[in-house]
Amino acid sequence: VIVKWQRGVPVYGVDVMTPTLVGTLAVGMLGFVLVAYRQVVGLGPVTGMSNAYPWGIWKTFNTMVLTALGSGSFAIGITAWIFKKRELHSVMRTSLLISFLLYTTGLLAIVVDAGRPWNLWNMALPWRWNTHSPMWEVALCMPLYAFFPLLLENTPPILERIYYLHPVLQPSIRRLVPIIRATYPWVVALAYVLPIMHQSSLGALMLLAGARVHPLWQTPLLPLLYVWAAAFIGTSVVLVTLLLSLLAWKRPIDTHAMRALASLTSDLALSWLVVRLVDILVRGQFGTAFTFNSYALTFWTEMVSIGAAGVLLRRQVILERPDRLFVTALVMASGGMIYRYALPLLAFAPHAMAWYTPTVQEILVSVAFIAWCHAGFLVAVKRLPILPAPMSDWDDLVDYIRYLAPWIQMTRSRHATSEHRSGYAY
Amino acid sequence: MHLSRRQALGVIAKGGLPLLAASATAGVAHAEGESAPVAPADAVSMLYDTTLCTGCKACVSACAEANGLTPDARLDGLHQAPLALNEFTKNIIKLYDPVTGPQSFVKQQCMHCLDPACVAACPFESLSKRGDNGVVTWESAKCIGCRYCEVACPYEVPKFEWSARNPAIVKCEFCQHRLSVGLQPGCTTACPTGAVIFGPRSVLLAQAKDRIGAAPDKYFEKRVYGEHEAGGTQVLYLSHVPFTAIGLPSLAADERPGRYLYWQKLAYKFFAVPIALYAFAAAKMHQNFIEHDRELREEHRETGADPQL
Repeated sequence: VIVKWQRGVPVYGVDVMTPTLVGTLAVGMLGFVLVAYRQVVGLGPVTGMSNAYPWGIWKTFNTMVLTALGSGSFAIGITAWIFKKRELHSVMRTSLLISFLLYTTGLLAIVVDAGRPWNLWNMALPWRWNTHSPMWEVALCMPLYAFFPLLLENTPPILERIYYLHPVLQPSIRRLVPIIRATYPWVVALAYVLPIMHQSSLGALMLLAGARVHPLWQTPLLPLLYVWAAAFIGTSVVLVTLLLSLLAWKRPIDTHAMRALASLTSDLALSWLVVRLVDILVRGQFGTAFTFNSYALTFWTEMVSIGAAGVLLRRQVILERPDRLFVTALVMASGGMIYRYALPLLAFAPHAMAWYTPTVQEILVSVAFIAWCHAGFLVAVKRLPILPAPMSDWDDLVDYIRYLAPWIQMTRSRHATSEHRSGYAY
Repeated sequence: MHLSRRQALGVIAKGGLPLLAASATAGVAHAEGESAPVAPADAVSMLYDTTLCTGCKACVSACAEANGLTPDARLDGLHQAPLALNEFTKNIIKLYDPVTGPQSFVKQQCMHCLDPACVAACPFESLSKRGDNGVVTWESAKCIGCRYCEVACPYEVPKFEWSARNPAIVKCEFCQHRLSVGLQPGCTTACPTGAVIFGPRSVLLAQAKDRIGAAPDKYFEKRVYGEHEAGGTQVLYLSHVPFTAIGLPSLAADERPGRYLYWQKLAYKFFAVPIALYAFAAAKMHQNFIEHDRELREEHRETGADPQL
């Protein structure tokens, strides 16, 4: 049976309040307690940061790495909407949810990491802007993206839920639809320009560190390589998340869409790899990759995982099995994460003799932010029509809701039968 | 002339290209003008000479006194003996003591670069370079505590108050509060041997070159550190040992933010590139969205289920 994803369908018939969710929320709450403690005692006693390594994992991992993980929606969106790759529309809602969760927690990490967050109101005073600072660009552009286009792109599933569950609000939502339709392209176009801006600026941040960033990473092309890496990390994370969710909740997989996503990831990653290698060769720094040290090791781990995964994502033997595809996409995402993490931390060598080791509290806060993402995802996919499914799954949902709550009016598709449920395509 | 919306968008999108070209040209001209940063007219300066320094550290305590800093006595609980520049120390004397060869003291403080990386990095102009005397100062109300200045500074000078609830960025501000009332900085006032002296940059640079001219073999590489390093600095060094040995990094004249951020500045000039990208994306989105909407409606007619965006 060929499965074609046609719409988002919530994961239904399962509990929302599972032990997993409770555990995840507990970790998240612990993070908030530690954040409160950090605000009282300052950054020094809580973190492993020092004057030599002024940026720890909150900024470098939670913001610089994890927002790359959340960059799937702009890469997939551009491919689907601008370059008309239609089969990718079905995975948009999933990628948008991932992006929103990772971006909000990434932004929260910046605020927690900022020594004087109360001065962030300077963002509202244009005469104090240093428009040439990549940090200014990130500070303004990233929240703008997360809380304007990205948030709006995430509202249709929420409106849909309200529409069905609260019939009294239906007329107002109907009135909203033409407004959303009219503004959608203009808002969504912003959702493609803003990430290109701040994801490249995240790379530009380290330009100013000059020779203190290892030459395998330090290049004038940093902004380009950084946003490009975000694109393929983002798409592989959507692959990983989708496959994990679909396998966990036993939902049918659209081979065609998954292949489109895999080939997009592979194209982006392999072309990135070529640009990265040519850049290193042109700058005459390839020799440094053959020294036996942690930099070369990091470099090769990154290169081999991205290169191997990029090639494998084109191979039938990987594409035909969801579990293999999952592992390959995971390797790809990890390789990309190493690149993103290496630039601000692993490849950064200050003159001062020092090393940075994150403290337990620091790691717990970092994990807590990830826990909030996980919890948000679990609740959202069970309550909102996000994960892609064929029309028959929608009809099954409608039947299920009719049985459970006959007063809720949902439209079934015309041709399906209630026991029809597509087989697993792979 | 009547334009349909799509035509108008096309014009806007195409208009972006010449705009881009124009701004690129403007950017190149701008960058060329920036290629060698010049010292402000009344640039103040410090000249430190390792051959004259006796390591008495009078400048260290004078600095703490002039800036109202708590003396850093964490080493033995008694003496002001900081190990490095830190949140209590804006100025320090260190000893370079090799197994063989000559020893040397070195004074460390902010270099007050002509093209300061910390100022380029600072998102809200908390760190800024004064237009009159070129002193790089820090302003509390604008600082968000992002510590990008610490990452950017090639001399690793700005320090952060890690244990404070309202942490400040601590660095030498050339005793601007003393300069403004006609006094010299604390350190140059205190120095008993004239190892560190205060004066206009042009004068001190000439004086440094005179010293090299008088005794060329005395000084490493027969040159003044800070004349060209990272675009030039307002603190100048003469040394009898290699500069890198006493913690002064070797920096080419173009290793400075003006060049590092060249493309970044170009791309954001008049916001031309983002605007052009947006015009293109919006035009394509608008066109493809209409198509997509039609497909959704067709699907709805066919299946009867409510369409999803």
